[in-house]
Amino acid sequence: MTDKNDFTGKQVLISGAAAGIGRETAVMLSKLGCRLILIDIDKDGLADTVSNLFGTGHSFNIIDLGNLESIEPAFKGIVDKHGPFDGFVHCAGIRCRRPIAMITPSILSEVLKVNFGSFIELTRCIIRRNNFNEGLSIVGVSSISSQRGGVSVTAYAASKAAMDCAVRCLAKELGSKSIRLNTVVPAQIETRAYVDFLKMTGGAEDITLTRQYLGLGEPLDVANLIVFLLSDKSKFITGSSIPVDGGFLSS
Amino acid sequence: MTNEEKLRLIEDTLELDNNSLKESTFLADIENYDSMTKLTLIVLCDDEFNKKLTGEQINEFKTVKDILDFMG
Repeated sequence: MTDKNDFTGKQVLISGAAAGIGRETAVMLSKLGCRLILIDIDKDGLADTVSNLFGTGHSFNIIDLGNLESIEPAFKGIVDKHGPFDGFVHCAGIRCRRPIAMITPSILSEVLKVNFGSFIELTRCIIRRNNFNEGLSIVGVSSISSQRGGVSVTAYAASKAAMDCAVRCLAKELGSKSIRLNTVVPAQIETRAYVDFLKMTGGAEDITLTRQYLGLGEPLDVANLIVFLLSDKSKFITGSSIPVDGGFLSS
Repeated sequence: MTNEEKLRLIEDTLELDNNSLKESTFLADIENYDSMTKLTLIVLCDDEFNKKLTGEQINEFKTVKDILDFMG
């Protein structure tokens, strides 16, 4: 019997791999034998991630996902060079915290383009014939803000809700090709931005005090779920948005 | 941008009455000065002056002049 957690011979594309959840997922997959193609706009961060990877054959590409028109030619270059994919993880995103008064049309457009538009465009590229292997699994990194109201996260939350909606539609549309699509739905992960936000509010808005029973999450917690959704262990799961939230959405 | 222009920009952004702010105004005396107001000022510094203000820094600020100085 083959080990369904073995990614030897498989190739996965990760956007937003220069830090956080994207980096953690890349490192975990590389330990399981997977070959990684990483994309991000942050060259130094990407190089750092690559230096942390196990195994050989990985590569990275600098792509500005805010420029949607540039994605298809860049993707074509990648697939011509490296061949078809077994998985795609969309971690790239702008973490935008703005009151409504500061959400100008250009800000809204940028957040939706990078967080959601590039997910659709990369998915459009990867599901073309010869660009993927049988059993392709696509995972988007969503957020609990897609399901619960939050002050000053309107643009960000809308972009994540759009992704949740897209995987429901595309799971149905692409089911006949055995392509699976899901999102993971993290609650608050410990980041510098969050710690700074807590300092500003004097800790009054610390959700771990009330709703997130298990405290702040780590990128590793989210990466574990992503790797499961990429693996054959989750072969009957598609169109879902799965929380990894320390209890938040149940509270 | 002169300090007068910055004051008008902050008033406009926070929807305060025209000419209600002075450099010496204490931030704590601004109407409804709370975490949303601070966040708005952080975003304003980023958008208009390309300056990254942290939550910790803004908590240290006492008067409007501290913000004007940070804007540069």
